[in-house]
Amino acid sequence: MIQRLSYAIRETIASFRRNVTLSVAAVITSAVSLLLVGTTFLIQRAFDNLLVQWRGDVGMIVFVRPDVAPDALTLIEQNLKSQPNVIDVDKVEYLDKTASYEEAKRVFAGDPTTLSLLSVETIPSQFKVVPKTTDPELVRSLADQYRTLPGVAGVSLAEDEFDVISTLSGFVRTVTIGMSLVLLAVAVILIWNTIRTAIFARRREIEVMKLVGATDWFIRVPFILEGLIQGLVGAVVSCGGLWALNSAWTSGVAGFKPGTGVSSLVVPGSYVNGVMIVLLIIGAVAGGVGSGVASSKFLDV
Amino acid sequence: MIRLENVSKMYGSEIPAVRDASFDIAKGDFVFLVGPSGSGKSTLLRLINRQERPERGNVWVAGRNINEMASSQVPYLRRTMGNVFQDYKLLPNKTVFENVAFALEVIGKPKHVIGHQVPQVLELVGLSGKEDRFPHQLSGGEQQRVSVARAFVNRPLILLADEPTGNLDPATGEGIMQLLEAINRTGTTVVMATHDHRVVNAMRRRVIQLDRGVIVRDQERGVYE
Repeated sequence: MIQRLSYAIRETIASFRRNVTLSVAAVITSAVSLLLVGTTFLIQRAFDNLLVQWRGDVGMIVFVRPDVAPDALTLIEQNLKSQPNVIDVDKVEYLDKTASYEEAKRVFAGDPTTLSLLSVETIPSQFKVVPKTTDPELVRSLADQYRTLPGVAGVSLAEDEFDVISTLSGFVRTVTIGMSLVLLAVAVILIWNTIRTAIFARRREIEVMKLVGATDWFIRVPFILEGLIQGLVGAVVSCGGLWALNSAWTSGVAGFKPGTGVSSLVVPGSYVNGVMIVLLIIGAVAGGVGSGVASSKFLDV
Repeated sequence: MIRLENVSKMYGSEIPAVRDASFDIAKGDFVFLVGPSGSGKSTLLRLINRQERPERGNVWVAGRNINEMASSQVPYLRRTMGNVFQDYKLLPNKTVFENVAFALEVIGKPKHVIGHQVPQVLELVGLSGKEDRFPHQLSGGEQQRVSVARAFVNRPLILLADEPTGNLDPATGEGIMQLLEAINRTGTTVVMATHDHRVVNAMRRRVIQLDRGVIVRDQERGVYE
């Protein structure tokens, strides 16, 4: 077993050397495509931070002063629920201070200054409201009405903050996913072609191996390993690129004035690590599949 | 050891390479397949090591019908056979030792077995002392000896040789034939395709003659004609 493994590894390295240019091309293509895949994930996550407040068709948020009296809070809730024609009263959701603070951590991920000014004690709690009506004027007039209630710190409308970003996010997602899929396909084809060339370069050897009774898997494994490593090396390179890109972005965003929406567009390191693991898996699988298909297709002597 | 029953093999849809061939080769036999180029000799050898499968008929090797054998079993069938070719099919970037060792390595034989068997077989074929040469540093006869060594190193039941003397001068070819005879004396069945009259006539072994894919003669202790 160990002997077979050492054989496979030796052959893989030798084959890598024989096809340096093609291998490098395959590695670079998979690195670039995986970097794009990773960037797609990060962009998506960044937009999600901005949109997290508005998830689930929330159209209006009524912020309540942290020092609100209990009966004022009840009054606000009653007011909201007394509008069953405009508001989906079953979906009115109250986020207390703790929940609001958790959410704020994401909204102000890239804006530690603002975040540090907030605490569970000082943060406004909030009612999330899902409007029933599609008439924006009706919602707007309702918002104006709530602003005058005692204890209300402010009212935000999705229309003002969310719609542009939502459209933009959808567009960016479509473009980046499309581009990364195309590049990923190119990477698989390049790996496939590298393996085909490697097999062609060794066709005499393979013929002899078949005649002396080497099993198909024994012949195949070094080639599959080669493709898998190409995909994996590409993924490692793309992880490095992604990390650099995210660091540059995070420090760039830190330069913006606090309070602007841009500061939400920062992705925490733990999420980036998760994306990197996904990239490594995609790289290895794409390389392994590409070379596996090529080796079963071209090894038929 | 080898048995063909009414075997036909077509290339394309029209021209049969082998038509309705039947014969029986016993263990330890030495058999010549003779006939002009294109008469089907090589195809018969390729049917025996299952590089080809016949359209009709059955091929039996060591008691097994190899046409019904699963593809995954074919490597194990081939480990019971050695192959020698007119063009040697040596790997140019490997030394003599490595070329022979390769045959054992790729079927997973442990290092100590390789270290023991390869020098032994190289001595048998008369190449001791040339282990570290590369194929291009050897004469044609020596290259063919390496090829025979590679075919025999795993002690196969059957040795298939396709025009092994085709590229060699008569004296060198004779040396190869002596080697094949020696291998045959160890009990290995030898099937050799050739159109070399001298070799066949000198050996007086069983001769199966083919003409355009049909067996026209099967004779013990035959000559080429």
